[in-house]
Amino acid sequence: MYGLVALGYHITWATSRTMNFSQGHAVMVGAVVAYAVFVGLGWPFPVALLVSLAALALFGALVERIAVRPFFLRASPAWLLATIAVGIIAENVAQLTFGKDARAFPSPLMKKPIMVGSVGFYPQELLVPLVGLLLMGLVQLFYHRTAYGKQLKAVAWNPEAAGLMGINIPRAVMASYALSALLAGVAGVLLAPLLNVAPQMGTIIGLKAFAVAIIGGLTSAPGIVVAGLGYGLVESFTAGYVSTRAREIVGFGLVILVLVVRPWGLLGEKPARRV
Amino acid sequence: MTARLGWIALAVATAAVPLLTSNTYYLYLVVSVGLLTIVTAGLNVLVGFTGQTSLGHAGLYAFGAYTAALCAARAGLPEWVAIAAALVVTSVVGAGVAAAALRVSGPYLAMVTIAFGLIVEGVLIEWGAVTGGPGGIFNIPKPALRTHYWTVLVAAALALWLTANLRRSAWGRACLAVKSSEVAAESLGLSAYYVRIAAFTVSAAFAGVAGALFTFLNGYISPDSFTLQTSILFLLALIFGGLGRIAGPVAGSIALTILPELLTKLLDYRLILYGSLLLLSIYWLPEGIVGALSGGRKRAAPHPGPLPIGERGARTLAPEGRGQGEGQSDDVLLTARGVSLAFGGVAALADVNLSVRRGTVHAVIGPNGAGKTSLLNVLSGFYAPQAGTIELNGVSIMRQSPYAIARRGIARTFQTAQVFSGLSVRDNVAVGVAGRRLGSLLVALLGAPGSRPRELALQSRAQALLERVNLGDVGHEAADALAAGLRRKLEIARALATDPLLLMLDEPAAGLSPAEIAALDRQLVELRVRGGPAVVLVEHHMDLVMAVSDRITVLDYGRVIADGAPDGVRRDPAVIEAYLGATA
Repeated sequence: MYGLVALGYHITWATSRTMNFSQGHAVMVGAVVAYAVFVGLGWPFPVALLVSLAALALFGALVERIAVRPFFLRASPAWLLATIAVGIIAENVAQLTFGKDARAFPSPLMKKPIMVGSVGFYPQELLVPLVGLLLMGLVQLFYHRTAYGKQLKAVAWNPEAAGLMGINIPRAVMASYALSALLAGVAGVLLAPLLNVAPQMGTIIGLKAFAVAIIGGLTSAPGIVVAGLGYGLVESFTAGYVSTRAREIVGFGLVILVLVVRPWGLLGEKPARRV
Repeated sequence: MTARLGWIALAVATAAVPLLTSNTYYLYLVVSVGLLTIVTAGLNVLVGFTGQTSLGHAGLYAFGAYTAALCAARAGLPEWVAIAAALVVTSVVGAGVAAAALRVSGPYLAMVTIAFGLIVEGVLIEWGAVTGGPGGIFNIPKPALRTHYWTVLVAAALALWLTANLRRSAWGRACLAVKSSEVAAESLGLSAYYVRIAAFTVSAAFAGVAGALFTFLNGYISPDSFTLQTSILFLLALIFGGLGRIAGPVAGSIALTILPELLTKLLDYRLILYGSLLLLSIYWLPEGIVGALSGGRKRAAPHPGPLPIGERGARTLAPEGRGQGEGQSDDVLLTARGVSLAFGGVAALADVNLSVRRGTVHAVIGPNGAGKTSLLNVLSGFYAPQAGTIELNGVSIMRQSPYAIARRGIARTFQTAQVFSGLSVRDNVAVGVAGRRLGSLLVALLGAPGSRPRELALQSRAQALLERVNLGDVGHEAADALAAGLRRKLEIARALATDPLLLMLDEPAAGLSPAEIAALDRQLVELRVRGGPAVVLVEHHMDLVMAVSDRITVLDYGRVIADGAPDGVRRDPAVIEAYLGATA
């Protein structure tokens, strides 16, 4: 499930060599909006999903416009800090409108657990990785099979040349941000019933997803999905056998280990040094 | 002058606070500003000077605080021992974290430092036996607030003074060089990794001391004070105050301590406030409050001023003993045999042989895309060839890092001149003169008097080199303000500053006027007359090449198609065909 959010990092990185550090907050926005429409207004779930996704695409485009575009192509970490700033603001706005308390998100898939032997799990928990794999497949198809996807890749490789070929770079980057936020939104809506919906949920999800993206390799979508599954497993084992807090220590320790041994990630491409 | 008055005013104001008021609230506020100043001054060395972002300094701050708390509360040691212990522990931890984390940079580094911060926070909560768990440690013996006020003020002033010293030293220049162009810094023999570790360690030590002082301010500590939010606050204070400016940490710390206090009613909006402040300062105050106040003029590194008369040329730094090589029987300096390099199946270099003799100018020419620059990048260690051998002075330099090769005596310039922005023209050359010999980091921090003659020698040699390329008059100007032609000259002076055995010039005449090319011509000839380094010259201007070269190697499609004296090469049919596409 982190894989899904982490794919979002991959998408913007692959297009613009920048990343939305408020990706976790996008997950939160997705969950909060879906909650507001579904539970607050009492509208049907599909409508809530659509509204949430629309809000997310807008959020992504907004992040790109105010926090990334002014700094794109400048060798400064400004975009990194600016996206963090947007995330902080989003969290505060959510606190003010939604309240600080966590709320449960009802789902038909959470009512009765399926029992396999003595281990029980909810259908919802099964749904998350399935949707994750499906979306990863779609993203891969998009990048390798469609003209627009190839354009986005061209932008990543050489923005100047891509611009000369008539690709509208700002729009391409904005599209990648919208798409990336959209994935986060799907994750938000799917995760909402599993976790509780709260404005503070964004930071930690965003960080873990980023950890997954780094472990898998920012340049490799399959690497990210594999790393996402692996990370989830390691986490639940640690939580089960050691303690809940230890799971974060182990998780982030793993990231440092991977970065020291293979800085470009397990399945990522080793970046060529440009002189 | 105004800057000095500002510092004096600030010192007087802070010293007056405890005399004018007995309200501990104000004392507490000033102490908070002081603590934040110490952390951000350290962070300034890492982010402002060296250009690496850390979002994990709350973790180092925590290390300092908990070390001090354990020393004072559990072991009953006096305050100064606890602070010293915090300094040592965080320096060691910082160096360790840096050695692992700085193998990556940019967003990856941000992630590693975030991960470090979260791990520290997690351990503080989990390891209750030592850290007191979520409740933290309390009943730490603490000094009276008034006493502590002075301790913190002195420490903060010291922190600023140390960073100012560092900035003026060879270390400071090395940091700025690495920030501006890692590639160019390595080509001068600096290891970017090593410089960054040093900067990270300094910033860690500062954070540790501030953490210890924080412990003695409150008498209790808990993990709540050391979250990711704290790390972001540190960075925000620095950026808002002025990245890379000595006064930046003070201004940012004052603003970010006072502002929330004024807006306590808006507590719920605090995050929005921080977020907007961060965005605003990135947009409109890229150099922070201090940058905006000093009129927005772009200032190069503080300049040591004119050299005292009598010191000029009085001492020169002896070139590093570079053992003139063992196999010195012939006069061949550099030999490359069978060098091949491919980028994903495209051969950039195929079986290239090159032999450069001492005291000669060896030109490498060829049509665009022939692999000339790739060859330079292989020789200087920036690209690793798939096959072949390269020897300098009979010693293999294959698979060595660029800075190691630079230290062995190969200097170079770049196709697009890479001057160090943020440094003056003379300081650019001074980076090359110092090379790897940065001296002791501690001496640089303390600005110890012993380092002064060395610094003068560095500067006078830099000035002499500038005069050799006719840049003597612009030594004090900011390097990035130079016109393109002058940048190339500066690059040559900087490369010569390393006292190389071999100087590699990548299209030094590109974009120069005919008069400037003639001057370059003279310089190259002069270099040879003076017994200077051998030169490998990659160039398109045939007049220049034919005039100065002793030998020419012609590349086409990554292969050597001709090699020999200029006259022979000029008449070589293969060369004519490659250049003119003629089949005649």
